[in-house]
Amino acid sequence: MKKNNLIKLTLLLVAAFMLSLPVQALAGKVYKLGLSLAITGPTSDAGHPYSQGVDDYFKFVNDTKMLGDDTIDCTIRDDQYKTDKTKQNFEDFLDQGIVFYLNYSTGSTLALKKDFEEEKMPVIPASFHAGNLIDSHYIFLPIASYSAQAIGLAEYVVKNHKGKTPKVAMFIHPSAFGRGPVEDLQKAVAAGLDMEIVEVVEHGKNLDNTAMLKRLVNKGVQYVISQTVQSPVATMLKDATSLGLKANSFGEEGKLTFLGCHYTGGNDLVALAGPAAENFYWTTSYIITNEPSPGATEQLALAKRYNRGEKAANSHNYANGMMVAQVATEVIKRTKAKGKEITKENLYDELQNMNGDNAFFPGTTVGPVTYSKTDHAGVDSLQLYVVKNGAFQSADKPFIPEYTSKIK
Amino acid sequence: MSYFFQLVVSGIVVGSIYALSGLGFVLIYKSSRVLNIAHGQIIAIGAFITYALTVWVGLPIYVSFPMSMIITFFLAMSVERVFLRRLIGEPIISVIMVTIGLMSILDGLIYLTPFGTENFSFPPFLPTTPIAIGGVSISWTQMLGVTVTFSLIAGFSWFFKKSTIGISMRAVSDDQLASMSIGISVPRVFGLAWAMAGLSAAAAGGIIGNITGLNFDTLQAFGIVVFPVVILGGLDSILGAVVAGIIMGLIQQFASGYLDGNWGLNGTGEVLPYIILLVILLFKPHGLFGIHEIERV
Amino acid sequence: MSANRWLATGNYFTSYREEQRIFFTSLDKTAMLLFILALFAWPLFFHVGNKYMLVVDNILVAVIAVMGLNLVTGFAGLISIGHAAFVGIGAYTIASFASVLGANHILLTHAWPLMIFIAGCMGALFGALVGLPALRLKHLYLAIATLSFQMIFQWVINFMNFFNQGQTISIDRVVWFTGQVSRREHYLFWYYAILVVIVITGFAVRNLLRTRYGRCLVAVRDNDRAADAMGMHPGLTKVYAFGLAGFLAGVAGALHAFLYRGVGIESFTLHHSINYLAMAIVGGLGTLNGSFWGPFVIQVLDLQVERLSEWAGAHLTFAANLATALKPLSFGLVIVLFLMFEPRGIANWWRITRSYVKLWPFRY
Repeated sequence: MKKNNLIKLTLLLVAAFMLSLPVQALAGKVYKLGLSLAITGPTSDAGHPYSQGVDDYFKFVNDTKMLGDDTIDCTIRDDQYKTDKTKQNFEDFLDQGIVFYLNYSTGSTLALKKDFEEEKMPVIPASFHAGNLIDSHYIFLPIASYSAQAIGLAEYVVKNHKGKTPKVAMFIHPSAFGRGPVEDLQKAVAAGLDMEIVEVVEHGKNLDNTAMLKRLVNKGVQYVISQTVQSPVATMLKDATSLGLKANSFGEEGKLTFLGCHYTGGNDLVALAGPAAENFYWTTSYIITNEPSPGATEQLALAKRYNRGEKAANSHNYANGMMVAQVATEVIKRTKAKGKEITKENLYDELQNMNGDNAFFPGTTVGPVTYSKTDHAGVDSLQLYVVKNGAFQSADKPFIPEYTSKIK
Repeated sequence: MSYFFQLVVSGIVVGSIYALSGLGFVLIYKSSRVLNIAHGQIIAIGAFITYALTVWVGLPIYVSFPMSMIITFFLAMSVERVFLRRLIGEPIISVIMVTIGLMSILDGLIYLTPFGTENFSFPPFLPTTPIAIGGVSISWTQMLGVTVTFSLIAGFSWFFKKSTIGISMRAVSDDQLASMSIGISVPRVFGLAWAMAGLSAAAAGGIIGNITGLNFDTLQAFGIVVFPVVILGGLDSILGAVVAGIIMGLIQQFASGYLDGNWGLNGTGEVLPYIILLVILLFKPHGLFGIHEIERV
Repeated sequence: MSANRWLATGNYFTSYREEQRIFFTSLDKTAMLLFILALFAWPLFFHVGNKYMLVVDNILVAVIAVMGLNLVTGFAGLISIGHAAFVGIGAYTIASFASVLGANHILLTHAWPLMIFIAGCMGALFGALVGLPALRLKHLYLAIATLSFQMIFQWVINFMNFFNQGQTISIDRVVWFTGQVSRREHYLFWYYAILVVIVITGFAVRNLLRTRYGRCLVAVRDNDRAADAMGMHPGLTKVYAFGLAGFLAGVAGALHAFLYRGVGIESFTLHHSINYLAMAIVGGLGTLNGSFWGPFVIQVLDLQVERLSEWAGAHLTFAANLATALKPLSFGLVIVLFLMFEPRGIANWWRITRSYVKLWPFRY
């Protein structure tokens, strides 16, 4: 009896699945886009708001008829940070006939690079790994690469350090994502950036970083540049605070000043580290919602329009996703305005024209988005933020790292 | 020298948190011979409940922490009732797999809540200036961790040594058939073992959550991290979990303190436990304090 | 031998030899042949997109890996929570050749069947090595030994420059008689290649299980002391079971590497090991056809849940979190429900259906 019920239930479920094919009301042309990212699984704390940003912005485009009667249909798929799954999603998107693809992780961007080349598909990943651009013509980073961010931080250290050559350590994620900027920073030092990289630490799931922190201090390290996700940084900051090793002002003698690239910071870090996050320096190309700006207003309004929570609305990863969607929309709009057909080739050409007078100001970033044949990193300028009184605030004007061009 | 002592102290602190996380494992294995792969998820749930009670309900932390332990106590008990009771007497592979399935289900349930993808941290309730004695410093959070660990372990030891239920639990772990014949309800003992494991997991979750912040990914990883610890100590020994936890903590601290950064090594603290684990499995499979029931064929 | 060579309604065996035959009746044999033929022929008549072809290929690769896992866990009763690491060994064998010789070396592009075989052998070697603790360990402890192998494997790949620190090592397209396999026909080409491998390994495993070498696996699983008394060496048998599983895993890994044209650590993590175990359980441990059902069901379920959650995400705005939670939830539920209500897996349904059809219109 039990078994019979089970079979019936299974049949019912299968029937339900079959009925679940999406139905669409068609008006005007539909441009297909695809996004594959980690909504669950590792790094989902970044991926989830990112997907919401993309989703909301495209909804906004369609609802406000930004492209006239035409609409954008962006399929968002969860790949749980698995490269195999990403590839499967990408093939699916290709079968659906997408004209533009949004990707997420460093690992999958590197793994699918050849496919992007063969398909001539313009791609914007959420990974700012500089290695994405090597041997690739179709990958466009939304903002400055991790390498540029790390170099930017290093330049800030060199500029504001008092005394002899500053000693720096790097605290990185044990993966391609974390190791990306190490080599480039070393190159920058070789090219004349006046600092010394004492040690590169690849962290694990440490409960306690006492050994590492003490070792770094003993070696005379004063600055720690991190390239990882928030959680390990939060643990490190808490440990440094409890050991009394965290500098209270930039470059305090005998103490450690912590700095980090895009994915180390944001409100999530403050949420995780609490008061220990104080004085953490963070760089990214995105604006933050703590400080009023047209972009921040737009971001908050968008999140409010689609009923997102407080956290998502203020997340820099929401801004990240939104900005990527803005770029994709803008490039479609421009291609349409020129009377060209929306194909991946035309979008690709149009993206590469996005410079000079054609530069795009999305508002969610601190500088204009510029792409050209030789420059596939979008926003070149970076903004430095620092945690004061439990919230990030600007520490300086937006800047463009100098050594990124010198090490090429 | 103070560097050395600092490593020793941190090692003991980290080790006792390992021990606390491993305790739930041992409790379940000791009574019912089940390897609970979903332990990390239970740790995470414990931490999340503590957070929800503290911040959303607004209870002071010294109320919400024990309360979350109690809630997790009953939660784990019902998990046993729903998922594992049916599988008593099934082959080991089924039991391992059911805990893997359980892990997935709990993952899914956690993704239903904001905790799955958002980060939180406990409101600070302890002084932030560390306790420093002669160049060796230890934070209040860690101190609390050590205290909770040792009091819980002392409590459990007393419980198993002296109380009637504890003794009956030991009887069940020794011989199920014999204990049934003298009137001990074996399923109830299993349920209780899971419940106690839930309780200790919630305690561990609260402490780890305080140290690392509440990130689901980080918290659930502790289910796997404690494997080497419990194997080293012997899967069925509470004392073993404590000693092995501290040994593991020390080894990790020393590895990252003296090996990392020299000779191009990195992240040795991560893999060393597993290498030790393999060696132990080869030469002393029942760990330091486990009961020998080895049969060689 | 039954009177009718096409249908047998009962057990007419008069010798063990007869009972051990692969096909009991001519009908069985014909059906099997037709089925294999159909597997080869369907892509000629139906065109499916690259995605579904990739999914099918994926299922087939998983079938080979799960066949290996079934040998060691199902037939020999040794729990392996590190199967993805063995698959990874196979894939990284190919990757090592690619990084030493260059991705477009003739060995990789032309002699790829040989490469697949070598990868299998490497898998077997490592399988036997990891199986060594089985000489001393049993049950749970062995399971944990395989788990620690999985962890060490991940660490080694992740930290060694030779393996590109776990980043993708790419592999060129292979060359067939018709020239280089293009992107359009890539997945179809590999469908046939993997299918051929499956047919070969499937029959090999089926045959193995008829011989003393296969039966000794089952004997050791059921009672190792009795097996010892019968003159088998349980320890060696276990090591050999791990070796066999390693071989099949290695082959699966090599195929995975060629199929995805690259090898990265993300495809061989603990999560994948668990997935393989789930496939084996759902399919039915200790059965050969279970190795086919399991991967099929799990992957199809995955696809359907994805579709459902997409639909839920689009139409039920309040269910945004539900959509993301559905995947792990359904995966876990399937495992648990199978363990509770059908621990013998889908293979058992297959067996019931078969015996029902065979006896139809009569019932017990």
